[in-house]
Amino acid sequence: MTLALVGGTHRTVPLALRERLAFSAEQAAAALARFRDRFPGREGVLLSTCNRVEFYAAGETGAEPPAADQLVAFLAECRGIEAVQLEPVLAREHDAGVARHLFSVASGLDSMVLGEPQILSQVKQAWALAQDSRTAGPLTGGMFQAALRTAKRVATETALGRERVSLPSVAVADFASAVFERFDDKRVLLLGAGKMAAETLRYLRQAGARDVTVVNRTAGRAVELSARLGARPGRFDELVAELAAADLVVSTTGATEAVVTLDAFRRVEARRDGRPLVVLDLAVPRDFDPLIGGRPGVWLYSVDDLAAACEANRRSRQQEMPAAWAIIEEETGRFMGDLHHRSTAPVIDQLRAGWSETGEAELERLFRRLPGLDDAQRGEIRQAFERYAAKLLHPPLASLRSESRAGPPHGLLDALKRLFDLKD
Amino acid sequence: MLEFISGISVVCFVASYTVALACEVSRLAFRSGVRGAALVGFAAAGLVAQALFLGWRAVNAAALPLSSPFDWYLLAAWLLAAGSLWLTLTLPRTPIGLFLLPVVLLLIGAAQLSSREPFPQSPATQIWGAIHGLFHLAASVSVALGAAAGIMWLIQAGRLHRKRPPLQGFRMPSLERLANVTNRTIAIAAWTAAAGFASGIVLNAVNRQRGLLETVPWTDPVVLRLGGLVAWLIIADALAHATRRRPGAARLTAWLSLVSLAVLTLSIVWGVFGVTRHGMPPAGRDEPVAPSGEAAP
Repeated sequence: MTLALVGGTHRTVPLALRERLAFSAEQAAAALARFRDRFPGREGVLLSTCNRVEFYAAGETGAEPPAADQLVAFLAECRGIEAVQLEPVLAREHDAGVARHLFSVASGLDSMVLGEPQILSQVKQAWALAQDSRTAGPLTGGMFQAALRTAKRVATETALGRERVSLPSVAVADFASAVFERFDDKRVLLLGAGKMAAETLRYLRQAGARDVTVVNRTAGRAVELSARLGARPGRFDELVAELAAADLVVSTTGATEAVVTLDAFRRVEARRDGRPLVVLDLAVPRDFDPLIGGRPGVWLYSVDDLAAACEANRRSRQQEMPAAWAIIEEETGRFMGDLHHRSTAPVIDQLRAGWSETGEAELERLFRRLPGLDDAQRGEIRQAFERYAAKLLHPPLASLRSESRAGPPHGLLDALKRLFDLKD
Repeated sequence: MLEFISGISVVCFVASYTVALACEVSRLAFRSGVRGAALVGFAAAGLVAQALFLGWRAVNAAALPLSSPFDWYLLAAWLLAAGSLWLTLTLPRTPIGLFLLPVVLLLIGAAQLSSREPFPQSPATQIWGAIHGLFHLAASVSVALGAAAGIMWLIQAGRLHRKRPPLQGFRMPSLERLANVTNRTIAIAAWTAAAGFASGIVLNAVNRQRGLLETVPWTDPVVLRLGGLVAWLIIADALAHATRRRPGAARLTAWLSLVSLAVLTLSIVWGVFGVTRHGMPPAGRDEPVAPSGEAAP
């Protein structure tokens, strides 16, 4: 075994236990320092996010990574939890399973929101912390580099992370941004103080929105909310004027019936000079009469409309899963092939050294018998010997590399050792 | 190298543009990591081949771009293909070629059906011929670009109206940007077409005075079709301008841009199959003047 993993996620570990198991950055650094002392010569990386705690360990032959039970006990000890509490909820993987899991985590396939990109930066942070703590090494280095490459491929070759799945992000990115090219010259009106308003405004701010007005039936609440959101408070009794001036409305009032009726909107329409209006009606019941959506130049979206778009995006992400898994399998195979091939390095080095030694001895003997050779001729003969040796060595080395793709090439290595009398 | 350039034919760049168009169409069917590179590669190859073809004709056939209907159409197609490639590079997720490359192929088709004989010209008429040809070229390219923006506006608006998320690989620019493009291109097309028509009148007068070319009568099909196109474009621009502050103005402009393309297409078809005295030497004159200038078809 070269690679080992124990870990739990939001799927396997109850929230209460996950909270106790989670590591802060300082705690993670301390845990890695402890790991370095406890298991010298082994590599370790700790990935701790709000949804998962995973410990990746690795070690070369002769210094294998700790067994899964040891890792569980180690995590329990670090967080002051009884190991018996963790044993049933922490998953265990080894070798190819570890690489496959890490690649799927980095690609967002194991996330609560499928395809979410934040996990990739958390994986990078975990790797950086391991480097700082001197528990990183060539094995985990290769694996984490491969994980980043896999995540990049999944992101570019599939649409897994492209479709938005939260209501506010879909509202802004898929609808409002499809109407308006830019938001820094648009007036945004927040109507009401529902919890979705602030979240939607966050996306609008990211898109460049600056001019934001908050209107609420309770003036004090509008002032409070606008102070919190860096917006301008407006007056509810001037709603028609505010609507006439707005380009985009986010409506989240708690009203029990429509705040803006079709008749009221007709008065607004006359004052808008034909400018398009996007209305994100996130209130339930709806704040805008649905008939307003039929007016020319008005793009009205209710919670149900946006939820349907979110669901379509989720389905779209799900459809990308086979393609994403195919990439992960391909990269896992490639990484494990490299890892297995790496184990053949000592044998290859011995083989090369033996051939080189024999070749040098023969060359020396030849040069003694042909003292009339000048340096150029000697160089030519030496190069011919080296080319000959390289060509003879190529087939067994190619066979080793090819065999490594399917697993550790123990049979071939034994055969080479016996055929060429190589010692361990 | 010269042998290679001389071997380039219309088929070469038509094939390249067709493959690029097929790449655009395939966006609707499946995702691909190499399609973008293939699309840009084939479009660029077509563009280079067409440029070499036009250059070869300019050097060896004494046929400067715009000097015959064939060359005029090919130059218009080249400009649109260049615009399509540039927009593809700047907006890689927008299938711009899907809307522009068919027009490019249509123009090349019109070129194939048109005369390759350069218009007889002299230095006296060269400047007016160039102005006439260039203004009509600008008008035609503007109409095609505006129509592409217009159809994208309608597709985007249809998607927003149905409240559907955007199709993968089929993202359109915002309605605001598309409406700006359609408005501007309609205005540019109207004014350049009008200027082209006016310069044609001047060119006709110069020809009449010098007896270089046949005088084109007001009832000539070329005059009628270009006059019709100019009249429509001015009406379209006036309509777009008059309704710009009304709700739904952008939709009207999008439709106007599409109708403009239809009128331009009709004008081209009429030009290809109609009988004209446009660009002909005077009756009874056997030896045309050495070609060296420019003119619109």
